[in-house]
Amino acid sequence: MTAVTALKQAVRRRARRGVVLRTLPALLLIAVAVAGPWLAPHAIDVPVTAPYAEPGGEAPLGGDELGRDVLTRLLAGGRELIGTSLLVAVLVTAAAALLGAVGALRPAVGRIVERSADVLMLLPAVLGILLIALSWPGGGRFAVIAAAVVMGVPYAVRLVAGAAAPVAATGYIEAAAVGGERLWHLVVREVLPNLRATLLALFGLRFVAAVYLVATAGFLQVGPQPPAADWALMIRENAGGIVLNPWAVLAPSIAIGLLAMSVNMAASALVPQAGRKAVAAL
Amino acid sequence: MAGSLSGTATRPGTGPAGGEDLRPARPVLSWVLRLGGLLARRALLLAVLLATVFAAVELLPGDAANATSERGESAADLAQRRELLGLDRPVLTRFTDWMTGLPTGDLGTSARGESVAELLSRPFPNTLLLGGLALLATLGVSLALGCWAALKPGGKADRAVSATATGILALPEFVVAVALVLVFALWTDWLPAVTLTDADGSPASWQMLVLPVLALSIPQIGWNTRIVRAALADEATAPHVETAVIDGLPRHRILTHHLLPGAMPTIAAGIATSTGMLLGGAVVVETIFNYPGIGSVLAGAVTDRDSPVIAGVVAVTGAVITGVLLLADLVRTWASGGRI
Repeated sequence: MTAVTALKQAVRRRARRGVVLRTLPALLLIAVAVAGPWLAPHAIDVPVTAPYAEPGGEAPLGGDELGRDVLTRLLAGGRELIGTSLLVAVLVTAAAALLGAVGALRPAVGRIVERSADVLMLLPAVLGILLIALSWPGGGRFAVIAAAVVMGVPYAVRLVAGAAAPVAATGYIEAAAVGGERLWHLVVREVLPNLRATLLALFGLRFVAAVYLVATAGFLQVGPQPPAADWALMIRENAGGIVLNPWAVLAPSIAIGLLAMSVNMAASALVPQAGRKAVAAL
Repeated sequence: MAGSLSGTATRPGTGPAGGEDLRPARPVLSWVLRLGGLLARRALLLAVLLATVFAAVELLPGDAANATSERGESAADLAQRRELLGLDRPVLTRFTDWMTGLPTGDLGTSARGESVAELLSRPFPNTLLLGGLALLATLGVSLALGCWAALKPGGKADRAVSATATGILALPEFVVAVALVLVFALWTDWLPAVTLTDADGSPASWQMLVLPVLALSIPQIGWNTRIVRAALADEATAPHVETAVIDGLPRHRILTHHLLPGAMPTIAAGIATSTGMLLGGAVVVETIFNYPGIGSVLAGAVTDRDSPVIAGVVAVTGAVITGVLLLADLVRTWASGGRI
């Protein structure tokens, strides 16, 4: 008996250490990117060397198309990408949590949500972002955020609704409903607290998706505008000089690649064992 | 990526009452009816999407005439161009015009006054070629990798394939493209980094397609390998598979005869979902490789803030995706023995 308990505890401790280990790279990278602008040795918009200069001297990673320091722009260029992605992930998760829980309690709402997800499936997210960002010229960053949220919510709602359905069917929810509790009380106090693990996993996955979308919007030049330092924008701007100073393109590419992969690894570590299958189909 | 990092597999059952109908009478008629139902459902979803797209372009601030205005242009000039583009007519009239024009191939007028259909007629086949090849590559490679991993569950290959697939599925296409260009074009000089075109506007040689197809399909391969692997693992718990294992059938025969047929609908749904991602990603990849597809048209539209062109591209893309989803529906029907 005690041996079994001890074994179980050991397994659980090891699992927790695994989660920490796999979440660490993402947290470190995010910390560096957030602190980056303060660590940068130069100003982001002042030339310090020749255009596409090779690494050396003032600029350890060389110069970009205007001779600005690549290292400085690399350090400065991640904060907004990560901030915007986090905001998108929070908004999508919150909206999906509410809509999904309501959908599980009120099947009519659930059906509407399901149908809109079917429709949005026909619209590639990248085109959706272009459409909204271009039809709303003054929107800037908010247009990208709005588009990313609109494109993300339907899929996220499905996951929450799926996880909420068994909870909504349990006796105590029915008892509360019969007891005259209102819908919002059922959603916020009864259903959602039971979905913490699913919501945390969903948040991780939506962060991965948001990094992809926000970076792609930046690359297509509908997000941040020059002379802002942004990893995706840097790749686009410096592609022409890839032969002269590959670091101007390679460094931001590696940064985005590492961010996407480490966040993805953290997200899959957070997925609860019980809900793993449901989330894997995402 | 919102699309594909999310919604796969969990599409709702199509049509009422699944396969409860066991009467053998007039199977052809009922099959035709069900096929018609599928078609109608998909067509309706597409129509709703198109209406939504039109509404998004309309309701958000800024219109095509404003977007292309030059500095110092007078209000009268602006009004004149608005009239020329037909933007002064009531919204409802323009909506019916746009929607009724779509089936006849009329996609409306760009902000510069060109026909959107004409603007897309040359580059779109190139994008379809790129996307189609990438879809084939995705299907082939992810099936092979998924099956290879499933042959020895928990083995070295399984763990390596699953970890790699998870690692690459979140990479944006343009990051993959940069890595490919550096390695295969600049450092080894094996493949061209840019696409040159023939007189008719198509890529000049097949080598020029290799890198764009790779850049496009690598993240999707990561994605679909996981789906194939998960679908096979699901199927492995079925009783008929256990029987086959106990009967001592060789692994590869169990895979091809017992696992794959059952996993097919899930795999088809996953691949179909990737179509949208591939067409969206094509826009990005084409800009990098200078590929003569809709990506270049869209890049121009981004500079001009030309939303009618984007709406046209969305319309055509939506139609293509609808077609692929319909195909996946049919695979599911066929795999489940003629039931829809």
